[in-house]
Amino acid sequence: MTTEALTDKVDDLYSYVQERCLWHFSSRAWDRQENIDGVLAKAGDMLTGREPVLESPNDRLQFAEAKSMVDDFRERFPWLRDAGDEEVRQLLDGLKERLVDIAITQSHNRELKHHLY
Amino acid sequence: MPMVLLKCDKDIPEREKHIYLKAPDEDTREYLPIANAATIPGTLSERGCAFCGAKLVIGGVLKDTIQMIHGPIGCAYDTWHTKRYPTDNGHFNMKYVWSTDMKESHIVFGGEKRLEQSMNEAFDEMPEVKRMIVYTTCPTALIGDDIKAVAKKVMKDRPDVDVFTVECPGFSGVSQSKGHHVLNIGWVNEKVGTLEPEITSEYTMNFIGDFNIQGDTQLLQTYWDRLGIQVIGHFTGNANYDDLRKMHRAKLNVVNCARSSGYIANELKKQYGIPRLDIDSWGFSYMAEGVRKICAFFGIEERGEQLIAEEEAKWKPKLDWYKERLKGKKMAIWTGGPRLWHWTKSVEDDLGIQVVAMSSKFGHEEDFEKVIARGQEGTYYIDDGNELEFFEIIDLVKPDVIFTGPRVGELVKKLHIPYVNGHGYHNGPYMGFEGFVNLARDTYNAVYNPLAGLAGVDIRVPEQVAPVLLREAA
Repeated sequence: MTTEALTDKVDDLYSYVQERCLWHFSSRAWDRQENIDGVLAKAGDMLTGREPVLESPNDRLQFAEAKSMVDDFRERFPWLRDAGDEEVRQLLDGLKERLVDIAITQSHNRELKHHLY
Repeated sequence: MPMVLLKCDKDIPEREKHIYLKAPDEDTREYLPIANAATIPGTLSERGCAFCGAKLVIGGVLKDTIQMIHGPIGCAYDTWHTKRYPTDNGHFNMKYVWSTDMKESHIVFGGEKRLEQSMNEAFDEMPEVKRMIVYTTCPTALIGDDIKAVAKKVMKDRPDVDVFTVECPGFSGVSQSKGHHVLNIGWVNEKVGTLEPEITSEYTMNFIGDFNIQGDTQLLQTYWDRLGIQVIGHFTGNANYDDLRKMHRAKLNVVNCARSSGYIANELKKQYGIPRLDIDSWGFSYMAEGVRKICAFFGIEERGEQLIAEEEAKWKPKLDWYKERLKGKKMAIWTGGPRLWHWTKSVEDDLGIQVVAMSSKFGHEEDFEKVIARGQEGTYYIDDGNELEFFEIIDLVKPDVIFTGPRVGELVKKLHIPYVNGHGYHNGPYMGFEGFVNLARDTYNAVYNPLAGLAGVDIRVPEQVAPVLLREAA
């Protein structure tokens, strides 16, 4: 897959998350990082046929968020059905980079690093 | 497009940092309105006070609790009969108001004795009620009345009562948001974990940030009952005081209003390890998604799909009838904070409405990150909008309907633009599948009702009336 094609696909996934999801905009930087890492890890499991680990309550939460997103991804982006494991990894890495950038690294939200809720 | 300095703000140029017009290929890395900041002198804010955030929004919803307002009687007025959070026990919370009715002499000599007397009098008058929240107000905070000490003494004298104190005078924050915060943190630190619930289902959750506006909580409760999920604490719609002391035993926190109540969900996660799931309860598509996520968490996906199928079969045709007639209409949303991002995509996707301007009274920058991510290009995003700005924005975007509160609603009525009460609703509930049909109906009634147009003509003159009626009927 060309870099341009990968970028276009990441754009699609990113636009979906921005419009539909709330977990990457939670209260503090550490919550956002935990959610982005956890939900995308569970999504990666689902998209590559691995069984997600559901040991802790937080595992189950991230699974619930990821399941809803992956179902929508599959419905909206038919090209995802043909993606191999390596391509899924590249797509989700690209998505994570974009989400961390907007929600944490370059966010202007002045409350993100406050140590209390 | 950079931030916007409206013409009316030429003498308060600081307002430019609070108003954003979204342009193509821009996002919140470049522009984010400043929010949850002190109102700029010279701007006529629509905000409420910090006490209002604690009492009117959260505490006053409880259905079995005396709400003792320690201050002059004026602080109590807007806490009585102006809110729309019914209960299933005869609306106890909307029938009574309690105040220590502080006068000048109490301010001069101290109000603690007055408070103790009022608390005892209230419990004596209502012997069946054993729970109370006491709020400070600006004057009683300024004179240093120690309401915690008084509450402690009353609880010692009356072992069967429990009292929670909220020290959040009106001046203590930039808006009602401060009151949300103080009540959330105080409650989780002082009251959660002090009672144990009876567990009746293996699926337990708290539903946080829903205040039973015109029956929202009661409507959603029918879903949770059908799914077999026990709600331990509704924070705080149709809730009992003691229910909320048991929130530590839920397996999941489901959050609707993240602004007023996100704090307690975060603390319940930090202190008790209960995960936080944020959902949108307004809109067909969002509600279905919320139900799916909750069911996925508990591993009961089939029940969720059945509920969604039943609800959609019942309500979708009605929604579509309104969608056909509301498609392309322009809406402004000028409410508290989260309803901007809860509603902008749901009215767009489910009703074909274009949201052209949004203003938040007490939202934080997190709320603007969410709404700018979801909202359209060419839409104005405003923090703490003032009256002159509203007039100018209306000229710029020409909305067909405005969702806002009664204060701004009266303003736009003078311009003959229909408004729907975005806080207390016109004819709710608005949450859930049925609720969103109610919202669509109220929007349709507002947009097509000829009254707004007739208000601008002399109704004694048929030549002036006929064009209005013809236009609205078209």
